[in-house]
Amino acid sequence: MKKETIIAVVFGIALGGVLGLFLINKNKETQLTKNKVIAPSNAPNKTLLTDSNIQNLEISSPQDGIVVDGNSVKITGKAEVNSLIIIQSPVKDLSFKINKLNFSVDLPLALGENVIKIVVYPSNKNQNPQEKDLKVYYLDSQL
Amino acid sequence: MKKTILILLIAVFILSGRVLAQTATTSASDEKDIKAFKEKIANVIKKNDKAFSGTVTLNDGNIIKIKNGDNIVYEVKLDKELTKYFRISSASKKEIKADDILNNDYIIITGVLTDKSITANSIFIDESYIAGSGRISEVDKDNYSIKIVNSAKETFTLEVETYTKEFILNVKTLEIERTGFSKIKEGDYAHFIVKRGIDVKDNKYSAQKILIIPQEYFIK
Repeated sequence: MKKETIIAVVFGIALGGVLGLFLINKNKETQLTKNKVIAPSNAPNKTLLTDSNIQNLEISSPQDGIVVDGNSVKITGKAEVNSLIIIQSPVKDLSFKINKLNFSVDLPLALGENVIKIVVYPSNKNQNPQEKDLKVYYLDSQL
Repeated sequence: MKKTILILLIAVFILSGRVLAQTATTSASDEKDIKAFKEKIANVIKKNDKAFSGTVTLNDGNIIKIKNGDNIVYEVKLDKELTKYFRISSASKKEIKADDILNNDYIIITGVLTDKSITANSIFIDESYIAGSGRISEVDKDNYSIKIVNSAKETFTLEVETYTKEFILNVKTLEIERTGFSKIKEGDYAHFIVKRGIDVKDNKYSAQKILIIPQEYFIK
């Protein structure tokens, strides 16, 4: 074999090797980049979807600080279905589970200021309880 | 001539009749407007029928200053002729005088709020309660007290007295039942009612009422 042919073969093998290594590295980088993008982009989407599905506790009546002239008040609002609701005041404690979105319940009042705490324990026990505070004043209507 | 006078008289009679009829119609519609206006005002007053409450920091006979639960100070203007004063005791109220309202009394005021000034119609001296809830972090069986951490990470120490009403949620029936101190465990949720006091330190209160939600409810 001629000297020139041997040099050409060796040069060709060396060039092929370098090119091969370059391609392998490039492929690895591409794979890593793809994996990094996929993992975090899915996680927040899942959280957002779960959060938007939660029905937050809403009290439509009575208004906070309202004066009433009867010795009871109707509490109406919205909460997550199948959650446990606890309503506590100095006069009475109530507990019930709701099977639909809306709830309505009568609470007896004492003369004067009535502090009322409404707490919802969601059916998903991993979720934190939600709470609202109200003050309702039962005062004589003639005053 | 006579005919002309007669025609003129008839014309004057018809015209004056019209004017009178118009006046009568106007006054009737005015009355309707006034009635509607009065109803509107009454509805607005009813919708804004709110009361304000707080602890008295000053009473000089003309003005009372109160501080509410959020530490906001309100000035309550008293009217010698119009403002009425009462003391609420359990299910009844007794009329009192303005001078009977002392510093540290908890009062409820009905009236008109303008900025941070209330023109008082009525003032009631009343008891003030706090309603709270949270998870039980500690049960002290020697001193009959429990520690509760609420959602804002505040710790309340509740002393269970002989008069404290203790209730527990039956996890099967979800009915509220009477219970005793021995049934309270760390990790349970507790709802409580305490009296607001002026000498309270480190959120330590004597409990009026406790309702326990056992941790078993969250496991099942």
